[in-house]
Amino acid sequence: MKILTTVKKVVDVELNIHVENGAILDKGLQYVINAWDENAVEAAVQLKESHKADTTLVSLGSGDNTDIIRKCYAMGIDNAIHIDDPALAKADSPTFARVLQKVYEAGDYDLVITGKQAQDTDAGQAGIMLAQFLNIPCVSNVIKIEVTDDSHIQVSRLGDAGTEILDVTLPAVITVSDGINEPRLPAMRGIMMAKKKKINVMDLAGLGTSFEDVGGTAPTSEIVEFMPTEKRKGGQKFEGEPAEVTAKVVDLLVNEAKVL
Amino acid sequence: MTNILVVADIKQGELKGSTAELLSKARALGADTAVVAVGGQVKDLADQLAAAGSDTQFIVEDASLEIFSANPFAAAVVKAANEFNADMVWFGFSETGKAAAPRVAVQLEAACATEIIDVTIDGDAVQIIRPAIANKVLQKVKVNTPKLVAVVRAGAFEADPEIAGKENVVALDPPETDTGAKIKELISDASGEIDLTDADIVVSVGRGAKDQTGVDMVKALADDLAAGFGSSRAMVDAGLMAHNKQVGQTGKIVAPSLYIAVGISGAIQHLAGMNGSKVILAVNKDPEAPIFNVADFGIVGDLFDVVPLLKEEIKKIRA
Repeated sequence: MKILTTVKKVVDVELNIHVENGAILDKGLQYVINAWDENAVEAAVQLKESHKADTTLVSLGSGDNTDIIRKCYAMGIDNAIHIDDPALAKADSPTFARVLQKVYEAGDYDLVITGKQAQDTDAGQAGIMLAQFLNIPCVSNVIKIEVTDDSHIQVSRLGDAGTEILDVTLPAVITVSDGINEPRLPAMRGIMMAKKKKINVMDLAGLGTSFEDVGGTAPTSEIVEFMPTEKRKGGQKFEGEPAEVTAKVVDLLVNEAKVL
Repeated sequence: MTNILVVADIKQGELKGSTAELLSKARALGADTAVVAVGGQVKDLADQLAAAGSDTQFIVEDASLEIFSANPFAAAVVKAANEFNADMVWFGFSETGKAAAPRVAVQLEAACATEIIDVTIDGDAVQIIRPAIANKVLQKVKVNTPKLVAVVRAGAFEADPEIAGKENVVALDPPETDTGAKIKELISDASGEIDLTDADIVVSVGRGAKDQTGVDMVKALADDLAAGFGSSRAMVDAGLMAHNKQVGQTGKIVAPSLYIAVGISGAIQHLAGMNGSKVILAVNKDPEAPIFNVADFGIVGDLFDVVPLLKEEIKKIRA
């Protein structure tokens, strides 16, 4: 089984984000591997261990992604591709999905595993759109993957009515939730080996396509401005004798806030 | 005139509140409104869908649609969108919406925007506002395509009780879709539980509750309040709460009138899922817990002391 996983380098959401004149300031930003993509990589590596799957990682975007790719190598990924093209800096979800389509078509994969969303955009579209473009099945928000045979997997996803168990014909795209696994901490041996592994870096031309070809020059939507989110302010905080404090707060919820 | 098709949010045969919220907003924008209901038994909802503000109700009913499956669901929505000549298709914030919207957008050659909190139409120009980076920023996004498919964040719009549409039922045949992802089984959520995303009050439990006894105690408070019962990620990771109870960036986005966070310290990912709540009450024994920075009311104290007292006080006022 050949598995393709995707990873994105995203801003660390734990840190403060500063917005000025409609743009995010670069100051103090740090970049990390998208948490859900780490779950996708872990899922792929587990399938490699249990079913001898061959695992390839693809990272899209411009700039140096070496650190996150090395981390995935250290977790156990076999091969890595970085599509490094400055044109992708402002691409929308369908364009990313079209680039992934090109990568997929060049590699004859059986299964694509992506994180269910990226923690910078929170869009959750690229994986599902990839499947739609390829006209192959897609299951999103997956919390369990089991291999049935060479051409089928069984997955569990969290839906609105409960946990849905689906039989999926391969090739397919699966987007995973953080509930699927606990990504491993790479062992020292893996980290050392990862340093020696080659990353296949190419731009869109190297992939045999162009920005126009993947729809980048005609984006379906564009971000025109960033704005800071209005922050909630802490209100009244009560310390003291629990019975007194609790009675006071319930009174405020009833008579002031009028929500009880 | 803009044609807005709202996808009815139906769970276990019941119409959720988000449908009326979306229809109210669509009418406030001056749009022509229609709704599409997809499922095993949805015909009987037509009058409710009209009352909620739609002027046309597309009904796609078939036994095969009883359990959600993304491909046929999306195909049914596309069919209704084409029938209505929809400029926009709006989904409520649900796993159904999140799974179907990108597929519908590709098929309609439309822009797709998830988790939007506002939309403006100025002639041909459409702009949306959506949060990003765990709700730390807002993005203003310009739509470049004639059509837009959007998933609307819970609580973004309010239903106007004065608004009503008219009944005009159009039955559509179920789409013929060959899906390579077939549902074998649905392990249904426990029946009778209050839906988190639709609840007027949500009580969530965090690490402070320690174990099952703590969880049960907080659950009893939720039951007394007829509230939705949620959780922080820590409790899901500890195996004490189900994945689908997790409130946060990765789980459920809630927007109740009152959110009660019990023993939750307030990680940024959790806050991203609940900061749309109208009023927040936090109970935590650590006076420095970040949850107090967003809570309207905070009780610094051990939840094992405070929760029974809360139950008692609420019982008094409800007596």
